[in-house]
Amino acid sequence: MRDSKVAPFIFIGPTVLVLLLLVIFPMFYSLGISFTEWNLIRGGSWQFVGLRNYYYAVFKDPYFRTSFKVTILYVCAVVTMELFIGLGVALLLNRPLKKVGIYRTALVIPSTMTPVVVGIIWRLLYNPELGTLNYFLSLFGLKPLNWLGDPSVALFSVIIADVWEWTPFMALILLAGLQALPQDPLEAAIVDGASPTQVFRYVVFPLLQPTLVVALLLRLMDSFKTFDLIFVLTKGGPGMSTEVLSYYTYRYGFKFFHIGQASAMSYILVVMVIIISQIFVNYLRAGEE
Amino acid sequence: MSVSYRRKRTIWNLVWAVVTLVVFVLVLFPPLMLFFTSIKTNVDALKYPPVWIFRPVVSNYREIFGLMPFGSYLANSLIVAIISTVIALTLGSLAAYGLARFRFKRSKDLSFWILSIRMTPPVAAAIPIFIIMRTFRLLDTQLALVLAYCTFNLPFAVWLLRSFIQEIPREIEESALVDGCSPYAAFWRISLPLIAPGLAATGIFTFIFSWNEFLFALILTGTRAQTVPVALTAFVRETGIMWSHMAAAGVLAMAPMILFTALVQKNLVKGLTMGAIK
Repeated sequence: MRDSKVAPFIFIGPTVLVLLLLVIFPMFYSLGISFTEWNLIRGGSWQFVGLRNYYYAVFKDPYFRTSFKVTILYVCAVVTMELFIGLGVALLLNRPLKKVGIYRTALVIPSTMTPVVVGIIWRLLYNPELGTLNYFLSLFGLKPLNWLGDPSVALFSVIIADVWEWTPFMALILLAGLQALPQDPLEAAIVDGASPTQVFRYVVFPLLQPTLVVALLLRLMDSFKTFDLIFVLTKGGPGMSTEVLSYYTYRYGFKFFHIGQASAMSYILVVMVIIISQIFVNYLRAGEE
Repeated sequence: MSVSYRRKRTIWNLVWAVVTLVVFVLVLFPPLMLFFTSIKTNVDALKYPPVWIFRPVVSNYREIFGLMPFGSYLANSLIVAIISTVIALTLGSLAAYGLARFRFKRSKDLSFWILSIRMTPPVAAAIPIFIIMRTFRLLDTQLALVLAYCTFNLPFAVWLLRSFIQEIPREIEESALVDGCSPYAAFWRISLPLIAPGLAATGIFTFIFSWNEFLFALILTGTRAQTVPVALTAFVRETGIMWSHMAAAGVLAMAPMILFTALVQKNLVKGLTMGAIK
């Protein structure tokens, strides 16, 4: 478009300015804070300590390491389960349906409703004395579980809630991917006498791969940030069995007010998320160019 | 077609229907549980084994407004979500138009930079934003939340609206520009009306994100500017005592989101994947 040189600035400038002020400046600020020892409760002054906070988190703090392990376990478990179940549900619903809008809306309710409410619902279901899940277990003659109070079960329980919350999102994306597949290769394979398994393995799967990658990356990124569900269900406990990094960082920053240490830990999380987000961005970019 | 083939088909259809039913029961049972708990009296809600037949009441919905200033929490949530949506749509549509229509050096880089910002982990942004808000004495104000929500709503709006604008053929605006229309008039009179459905969808998404947001609301607000999700966690601390009230509050938080999801369902995938999948 041929036009004045100022117009782009007028259109884009305000947004860039707002983002610089609200995101970029704060993020540099907290990078600075991460090199200091600063406790908001003990009074105002901060002290430059270089990389000590990072060194402490990575090499000295056993809780950070535990939290890191819990996070990796959590992320791997939820993303894998959501991907496979989501794919199953997408394949199930991939047929001409009447009133597809109702299916879609009903299906995706868990992923668009308030995450805190998701937590509340699962607290009701998991309640050891009155919860519906233990009631169902008793119907089958099984022993009741202390879903959120038993350190060996709690992480599993939170994972189930996360899988319930996000599998529909996965299924919806993959279903959209399936429905956008070109029909010719599919029909050709069927005409050539390929079995349903072969059709999936050699035709559907390769064609669906871009959608799978996008869904996987988005969930991977978001599951690293899980906070609301942990806060409502377990507050990281019992012990540290469900203490994911974002919750541990939150506790350091807003319970102990060790702002310096919390910033350093948050930057470790940022680096991990940035790596995934850049893969995602490059992927989109390749598609656009 | 042979009889056995047809019978096989019928069996498969039956299996399909049963499995689909199971999937939807698994998806919908938990929220329905919440709803049923919300229309039980507290006595019924705390019965074990759970009672499935009971006399429904609506009193819980009335009573939560007396137990806590739930009305003002609803108002806070609503005001913050609306203002932050308006800001995201206003600035976002301008930026989206600029990025989609002007060719300048590094315009692609700028677009993807804005997309990357959307992915910042909230807990990382929350620490400096908390200190900044504290310095400016903005803690526990609606303004603090509106500003904090711009950090994720604005990049989202820019990115999604950019893809809506890219779908409009350039020629429509170009003919107007040839006729002597300024780029601002072309944006205002031609592009904006054409992306009206996209604007509505984007606005619904930013509203949902703001309404559901918890971490910023938790750390930036106290009593005055508290939003619904934070207020809900107050019930959790007293689990077992006020189940049916907690459930009623939860239903009030959840219901508008279900409605909005239904409204935006044609653009759900696009919005949830930031336009990566149409």
